[in-house]
Amino acid sequence: MSNQEAQVSRRRFLKTASSAAAAAFAAPTIIPSSALGLDDSVPPSERVVVGGIGIGNRGAYDLGCFLEQKDVQFAAVCDVKEARRTTVKRIADTKYGNVACATYRDFRELLDRQDIDAVLIATGPNWHATMAMNAAKAGKDIYCEKPVTKNIEQSLILADTMRRTARVFQAGTQRRNLPHFAFACELARTGKLGKLKKVYAHPAGMQAMMSGWLPAQPDPDPAVVDWNMYLGPAAWRPFNPKLLDGFNFEKGGGLVGGGVLEWGSHCVDLCQWAVNDCPPPVEYNAPKDGELVARYENGCELIFREKGWIPLGSCPVRFEGETGWVEAGDSGKMVLSSPTLLAGRTVAEIGGYPATFHVRDFLDCVKTRSQPKGNAQAACNAHIACHAANVALFLGRQVKFDNQTHMFVDDDQANRLRSEALREPWRL
Amino acid sequence: MRLTRPFTRSALIAALMLASVASSAQAQKLSADKEKELIAVLRSEAPSADKAIACKRLAVDGSIAAVEDLAKLLTDPQLSSWARIALENIPGAESADALKKATESLKGQLLVGTINSIGVRRDATAVDVLTAKLQDKDADVASAAAVALGRVGNADAEKALRAALTAAPDNVRSAVAEGCVLCAERLNAGGKTKEAIALYDDVRKAEVPKQRVIEATRGAILARGEEGLPLLVEQLASTDRKMFQLALGTAREFPGKEVDKALAAELSKTIPQRAALIIQAMADRPETVDLAVVLKAAGSGAKEVRISAVGALARIGNETCLQTLFDAAVDDDAELSQAAKATLADLSGEKINAQIAALLPKAQGKSYQMLIELVGQRRISATPALLKALDSSDKGVRSAALVALGETVDLKGLSILISQVMAAKSEEDGATAQQALKSASVRMPDQDACVTELAAAMEKAPAATKVTLLEIIADVGGAKALKTLGSSAKSNDPVQQDASSRVLGKWNNVDAAPVLIDLAKTGPAQYRVRSLRGYIGLVRKFAMPDKQRAEMAQTAFDLSTQAAEQKLVLDVCKLHANPETLKVVIKARQVPELKDDATTTAVAMAKAMSAKGVDVKDQMTKAGIEVK
Repeated sequence: MSNQEAQVSRRRFLKTASSAAAAAFAAPTIIPSSALGLDDSVPPSERVVVGGIGIGNRGAYDLGCFLEQKDVQFAAVCDVKEARRTTVKRIADTKYGNVACATYRDFRELLDRQDIDAVLIATGPNWHATMAMNAAKAGKDIYCEKPVTKNIEQSLILADTMRRTARVFQAGTQRRNLPHFAFACELARTGKLGKLKKVYAHPAGMQAMMSGWLPAQPDPDPAVVDWNMYLGPAAWRPFNPKLLDGFNFEKGGGLVGGGVLEWGSHCVDLCQWAVNDCPPPVEYNAPKDGELVARYENGCELIFREKGWIPLGSCPVRFEGETGWVEAGDSGKMVLSSPTLLAGRTVAEIGGYPATFHVRDFLDCVKTRSQPKGNAQAACNAHIACHAANVALFLGRQVKFDNQTHMFVDDDQANRLRSEALREPWRL
Repeated sequence: MRLTRPFTRSALIAALMLASVASSAQAQKLSADKEKELIAVLRSEAPSADKAIACKRLAVDGSIAAVEDLAKLLTDPQLSSWARIALENIPGAESADALKKATESLKGQLLVGTINSIGVRRDATAVDVLTAKLQDKDADVASAAAVALGRVGNADAEKALRAALTAAPDNVRSAVAEGCVLCAERLNAGGKTKEAIALYDDVRKAEVPKQRVIEATRGAILARGEEGLPLLVEQLASTDRKMFQLALGTAREFPGKEVDKALAAELSKTIPQRAALIIQAMADRPETVDLAVVLKAAGSGAKEVRISAVGALARIGNETCLQTLFDAAVDDDAELSQAAKATLADLSGEKINAQIAALLPKAQGKSYQMLIELVGQRRISATPALLKALDSSDKGVRSAALVALGETVDLKGLSILISQVMAAKSEEDGATAQQALKSASVRMPDQDACVTELAAAMEKAPAATKVTLLEIIADVGGAKALKTLGSSAKSNDPVQQDASSRVLGKWNNVDAAPVLIDLAKTGPAQYRVRSLRGYIGLVRKFAMPDKQRAEMAQTAFDLSTQAAEQKLVLDVCKLHANPETLKVVIKARQVPELKDDATTTAVAMAKAMSAKGVDVKDQMTKAGIEVK
């Protein structure tokens, strides 16, 4: 593609950030706002009562997205850290002008509350899958931050559990509810680019990592930081305050995913949407020259690529078909191989990857019982692709995956990286 | 492999071991000698950290040779879970037996963990052990055994679970029900549908938490296939909100067409709030949905049901739905009207466009404006009808027509909008026309041709319109636009000079650099500083190689005749600190009035670069600047 071509294409799309278009995207006419409880005509008893678990930096952002929805009543917070419990309670109580937000150290107590319909899970990734499945079994609908799972087995069980328990699950893959990413995926999915040949994701750091323990320090007072609950399902290790960062904690144990999982749970997820949420690739190669190439059953390639992106912001994706291509990123912008792909449509340009629309999608589905965009099966497929890529990365060689058996083909080593035991007493 | 944390001695050992994990794994499986070394670590007095990582290593490549030593760690509260990581993964009866044997002596959470691992392995030989543990006084242990039995999911497990469903104490029964549902799923997947249904039904009737009943009911409905429909309908009519919700979700999974009829039948029986939700479930079955029912619901009845149906038609509707949607779109209820308009804009199909275009010339009243809006939203080619609408006495119609023209005209039609801008009927129409012209211009595939049209119009335009046209030319962008604006900025018309230099100063890529520099050197005197500042803005805002940025910064600095612009250049260099921009700043110290500012900037840049590992000490020393 020439720069000029890119600029022309880009210009065609990026003049489109009309607030009206954004508003239309934000509030699709699904069912009346009165029926959804978006106005004051529905009593508080009809609102979605939400509890939050592990509300740190990212969680606080998500919480804001929930609190701005009129049909949400945020009722409780759980955190192993006292300071966070207090902070979130203050935010909720200030919002509602009362002191009703309950606080818990053990999420199981929050899940026991029968008045809570849904939970926001924004703990570190170590807890996501285990906690989500506990919540589902307690009858709660779930909005869960990503990466949702730690390995392939967790991904499969997650999808299975959400189906079996009839719960609404939304992974925190909010880019599925942003118009330019949605449009790019639609172009790919509906054949507007011709037969799809390659989908590209930006892993931003392809490393499969392991590390040991940090030096032990005295356990803190559980009332201040409950280390045992913080560890949760992760294999035991001694307390060290440096591990009290949810994401980095992940690096303190088994095989962890680096950028392939951290970013892939977004950009591979979009690639999966582009291929119509089909089962994940069946072949994953060792990385070469900054690219890890995976291949779907139909021959289309999923390429984890570090370089070569048009500067469209973080989390870029690119979809190439036989007759056209599209690339999009977090700036809210996208570039097309031809302006004709726009077909006269206006696509709102929403940069900064807000989660508001994703949260709204979740809440709508809590009421309608439809499947949200980031549903468990979609998340499962995308996460399996990331985990399998990490297995290839870790083993430094090609691995093949069978989507019928959900096992690597004739590959004992790889199959032993499919799952990892949880610390007692936790189970999926 | 990257190591992500500072390490203690023991952790370093672990790290070294892990390094070997990655490299050896690439080449071949773990050698017997290497496995022996790892087993030796398990047997040694090595720190727990080392043993933990040895477990992990063995989980990937260990053999049954490691099982005995791994099993010994099952009693260790710190290492039990690490050992189970390996024991869950090492194939063979030895690992399974080790886990089973451990259940004989373990208690409490360690026992729970071991039972969980047996469940993960779906060890059919462990059913007796698990069945025994169902009776354990520790509810956590009994619950773990129940779920593990569910994961095993064979006939023996089913038998044990079914018995426990009534016999288990209250605090275990929920887990037993969970095990039953898991077991039923496996039975059903294995073709034992009758057994599965019986188990689901047992759970539905048991005294268990409602969520377990929900799971069992879903399973019972789906396992029955089409015969499960009455049970689904029963839930649809349930007064229990949770069961109604279950029905909504399960209806979407249900096979065949009969469920669509059942959903339709329920519409007329239930309250509007529920009917609205049922319609959404119907629309989520696009292959078999009864469109006529949804269409009827969109046409009359309770407002929330109508709006839900109107919204659903966006997904499942076709040209047969148009009249109903038209009627709703002009309804007095704003929410209904808005929903219908949104659906009409989204509904796919060329036939729909043709019908809208055919209706437009004869339309009147509210429908007229609504159809014009649709022409714009759906980008239907209907220029003659839109031109006629511009003569309407209704300003709403005129405005809609202008907007629609902005969305639909091609290059040839651009002149229509230009003339509307030039000779607007009112100030309001003029503003709308300007916006429409902008909308049309920025979507023209041929930027240069579009700019040519706009530039030609400018010659005859009054002063205010010239400014509008120049702004639109800037929005269009491209080489021709830059050239046009550059010439305009140097014209004799003060209005054009002002407007052109202003929009050039906000250009959104570095292509404007030569034009701005030219204006800064030879443009009208009163706009040279503005042009130079626009140029400096490009250096600040856009991505470019370090060397190019430094060269542009130097050019800007050399052209600056005032300290204010020179300081702006220093700020840009500070923002983009690199050895090249540092050269510009060091050179700026030669200007006596700027020496102090430049020195301070250089020091700040050096520190910023140092923090990123870029060493510019030599550069600074040669310049005679000390960095503390």
